[in-house]
This record gives sequence, C-alpha cells and structure tokens, in this order.
Amino acid sequence: MIKVRKSIHPSATDTWESIAARALAATPLDEGVASLQSWNLHVFSRAPAVPGSPRAGNPILPSDLIFVEPPLLAQ
Amino acid sequence: MDIVIRNGSIVDGSGRPAYIGDIGISAGRIHQVGHVSAQGATEIDATGKTVSPGFIDPHTHFDAQLLWDGAAKPAIEHGVTTIVPGNCSLSLAPLKAADRMKLVGMFNQIEEMPLVAFEQGVTWNWETFDEFVSRIQQDLTINVAPLVGHSVLRLWVMGQAATERTATATETAEMQSLLRQCLDAGAIGLSTSFVDMDEKLQPVPSRYADHAELDALCAVLAEYNRILQVVHEFYDIDLTIGRIDQLAELSLTHKITTTLSPLFINRGDFEGVDRVIARIVEQNAAGARVWPQVQTRPIDISFSFAVPSLLFIRLRGWYRVMRFGTPATIMAAFQDEAQRQQLVQEATSMMPLWSTLILRQVQTEANQQYVGKTLAEIAELRGTDALNAMIDLSLEESLDAHFISADMGHNDDDKVGSMLRHPHVMIGASDGGAHILSFSTYGDTGYLLGHFVRDKQLLSMEEAIKKITSDTADIWAIPDRGLLKSGYIADITIFDANTIDRGPEYYVQDVPGDGHRYVRDAIGVETVIIGGAVAYDHLLGYSDEHRGQVIGAPQR
Ligand SMILES: [Zn+2]
Repeated sequence: MIKVRKSIHPSATDTWESIAARALAATPLDEGVASLQSWNLHVFSRAPAVPGSPRAGNPILPSDLIFVEPPLLAQ
Repeated sequence: MDIVIRNGSIVDGSGRPAYIGDIGISAGRIHQVGHVSAQGATEIDATGKTVSPGFIDPHTHFDAQLLWDGAAKPAIEHGVTTIVPGNCSLSLAPLKAADRMKLVGMFNQIEEMPLVAFEQGVTWNWETFDEFVSRIQQDLTINVAPLVGHSVLRLWVMGQAATERTATATETAEMQSLLRQCLDAGAIGLSTSFVDMDEKLQPVPSRYADHAELDALCAVLAEYNRILQVVHEFYDIDLTIGRIDQLAELSLTHKITTTLSPLFINRGDFEGVDRVIARIVEQNAAGARVWPQVQTRPIDISFSFAVPSLLFIRLRGWYRVMRFGTPATIMAAFQDEAQRQQLVQEATSMMPLWSTLILRQVQTEANQQYVGKTLAEIAELRGTDALNAMIDLSLEESLDAHFISADMGHNDDDKVGSMLRHPHVMIGASDGGAHILSFSTYGDTGYLLGHFVRDKQLLSMEEAIKKITSDTADIWAIPDRGLLKSGYIADITIFDANTIDRGPEYYVQDVPGDGHRYVRDAIGVETVIIGGAVAYDHLLGYSDEHRGQVIGAPQR
C-alpha cells in the first residue's frame, strides 16, 4: 500500500482551533494551530470571505480536506 | 437499408483488431456488420478509411451553447457524437428564475462564457431539469448525456444560504428529492466541485457542502445506478490522493461509479502521478470505482488583454484590472505611468514566462512583422524587455493583440501516452465548450489518433478507439452506444487514419452577441453519422438531420 497523508473532513463549525484541539490534542493549542495552517496552505492562503458572510474570519469550508500531519517528504 | 458503409477498416470499439467490412444501418440502428448484400438508400464508400463508433466526450461545458447550437459546433466535425455537459457542479437546470444571473456569473467566471452571449443567445423558458431537457431536445444534432450540478441543486433549495453554510436535514432531503426529479428527467449523474470560484471570486455553492451532504446525494445516485463527477484540487498530489480515498469510500458505500478530473501529468512530478495511479489501483482492488480523467492535449493558454485570462489568476493586481475592468480602463491602466510601473513590478519575477510567449494575431499592418515571434525576440528588435513589449503591443492594437503561452505542461509524450493507455485511466477532461477565451477545447480526439496513435505509436488504433467509445459508454452507463455491433444505435465516425488530426487554433467571432472564442478545425474526419443519419460530411457540411438524443430522458 502507498503511504497516504492523514486528513480529515471538517465539521460545519470547525475552526483551526477546534481541529487542533481534536487532532493534535498532545500539542499546545497555538502550536497546533500554526502547524495545521502550515500544512494546509490551500486553505490558509485562501482569499478572505466577502464582508458580512457568516464564514468571515474562518477560511475552512465544509468540503475541504484538512491535513493533520506534515507532507510525507518532511516526515 | 437506409445507409450502407462499404469496405471500411472497421475498428469496432471493443479493442479487437480492425478488419475490412460493411455496415448496414436501418431505422437508426446498426443492422448488420461484416458483409452487407442489401443496397442502401445511401451508399458510403469507406475504402481506405477507418470506421469506428462515434466518439464520446465525457467532460464538457456545452450547456449554454446547446441553447443556440444543437450540434455543439465544432464537436461533431471532430467525430464526437455524444457529449456530457453539466460537469464541475454547474448545469443550467434546475434553476429558478431568480437565480439566473447568479448562475450566468458563475459560468462567466469558470467557463469564460461571455455575459452578452447569455443575454442575446438565450431565451430563458425553463426552470426544472425536465423543462431544460425538452428545451434542448428541439433541433438536437449531437447526443447529450447531461450531468446535474451540485451547486445548482443547492441554489434551488437554499437560495443565498447555498454560499454560506451546510444544509439542514430538511434541506438535504429536499436536495435528494430534487436530484431524483433530475435523474428521472434524464440526468446521467451528479457533478460537484472542490475548487471552483464564482463571479465574486468566492467558493461555488458545492464547496459549502459537508461530506454528509455529498453522501446523502450519492445514496440517491445509487438508486439510479448513476455516476458522481468531481473536480478536485488537481494542483496538489496529496489532496488528489485524499479525494481519491473520499470517492472510493462513496463508491464502496453506495456501489456507484465515480470520476475525478483533471489529472495533469507534469514534468518534475511523474513520481506524484505514479502515486496517484497506484492509489487508484489499490482502491480498485478493494472494489471501488474511481476513474481519473486524463486529457490528450498539452496545456497552452492564449490570451489578449480584452478579457480576463487564467494566466494572470496568480497576479492579483493584473487579474483585478482584467477581471473587473473594461477595455477603456485596462488601456488607461497601461497608459498611466504609476499603475503601469506597479503592474510591471508585480510581473517581473515571471519574466522567463513572458519571454517565451508568442505573438499570434494582431490587427494593424505595422505589427504583422512580429507575428509568430516570441516576446523575447520582439523585445530585442524594439529595444525593450518582453513584459513591456507585451504591454506596448497591446496598447498599439487597442488590446486586440493575441499571445500564446505554449508548453505549459502535460506535454511529455511518453508519460502522457502511458497514462492514456493505462487501464485505470479514462480519456477525457477536454472541457469542450469551456474556457473559450483561453484555448481551444476541440480536437482532443484528433490529437489522440494523430499524435499518440499514428505519429508516436504509443497506443494502437484499436486501444485508443476503445478508450473513447465503449470504455466511456460502459463507465458512464450509456446504453446501446460505443460499439459497432448489430442492435446498437448507429453513431459512427468515418475518418482517414493517415491524416486525422486537430487543425491549428484560431480566434473566431461566432458566439452570440458578437462574442469570440478559440477553435480548431478537424483534419481527416470525413463523415459522422448520428442516430442512423449523416449529421456531418466534410464536403457537404452539416445536414438537416437532428437525430441527437438526451440519453436517459424519457422518449417524447
Ligand atoms: Zn470542467
């Protein structure tokens, strides 16, 4: 079997913090958040939501795949 | 017999070796294959020519064009007899009157279909999928196997909230029953997108759906044995593999077929592509059906500054000027010293790209001398750099200077050829009818048969034809098409294997509202039969026959 990078489907209300608390429970929260953001540039570098959108401030979309470990090359 | 095709080299779509024979057609179907003694009302001499099932193009965006052109020109000229529109979460139905402009904005952003084409080419007289099917069935020449778009289902059920949040249980149930109505009316499956943006550069509605919503819709697909198409994060290997696993799970849970597109094969990342294919093979061994689509043509992008181009999507300053400007404001931006300097600065790091661009079309006599040269060569002659030469030429031509960036990837013949041959790969992803202002999406089958089969000999003719006929029909559950076999519907392409190809790309004004697009003519395709009647002949052009069907729709 090929090695597959671990990822999750976020829930509707997930934020960087909630995913870090769940998936990287052993890591301090800000460190976990920073790691998640660096592993998920496809989400972190996304243009912000339009002003007034209920999703403003949270770039994570319910259909996203969120990696919960670094790229395999880095491991 | 209505038509008899005589003495052709029959490549029947099964992958078995070609042989010389006749084909007799009556009442829209293939009646006899091999020796036909009866006379045909029409006799076609195919001596020295190849006779194959009509090609099936599984990834197109001809949705809008079908409203003013039931032949989806120039698809048929290239030998294509069936198209799948409605890919990538976008279809033109079901659509409430109030949401029309929203959808037009998305089509404009994602597929580069001009707004004015919708204003002048479209009478909006449908809302439901069934009404849309009846609408396009009038004067249909090509066969259409339409997908219904997930973004559109969301818009219908959730309105504005479709681009804000996940669906409630009630809304999900409503989407399920709406999907059932679409499948009853002839939809071949459901399409969704994990990457596309709308006209405000915000995610399309399908991206606000969680996995549970997609799962619920797949449960409905299962009731009908229909397919799920997704456009995934094709720019990243790990994300692609993550999506393959997600599709495999949906496929196994619901026993449905899934497909993702596009899979590009770029130099420098063959290892990544091999991992993707290895994962596909593993998931298939576990019982899942996940088909990656690989296109035949290399990536190139043509553009002028009169319309926003994909090439500039990463240069935010440039893209903003092009996307939200008019020709007058774009010219003004180039003429304004400060703004021009800013733009030049933003783009300077990409000088190697600008240097390789080729000037392909201009209006003024004075600049004809530069056509066909790279911007580096032109800059040298003019004593400037490539970037400034591009801006100067655009100003001199009132933005009607056309450049092409060739060789942008997916162009290693051996590797792409091995993928096109691969038993777990579907040949597709042409995007026919989309991106009409960036490149020509027509002629991928000619390129397959001319370049990969004849010139490079990386696939046999029989293998290649099977890939774009019976394999596609099987994967998409399209009955009675894709083989030259007694009882099958007579969709047949006759071509010259020694010459078949795609012609050069050119810019033409044939979109409603004086709109333009890039197209390619076909080379070597002689006669195309759809539903048992000649739809196109290379000498006579299009016939008056309109035998195209919406596959899966109740016969009216
Ligand atoms: Zn598409």
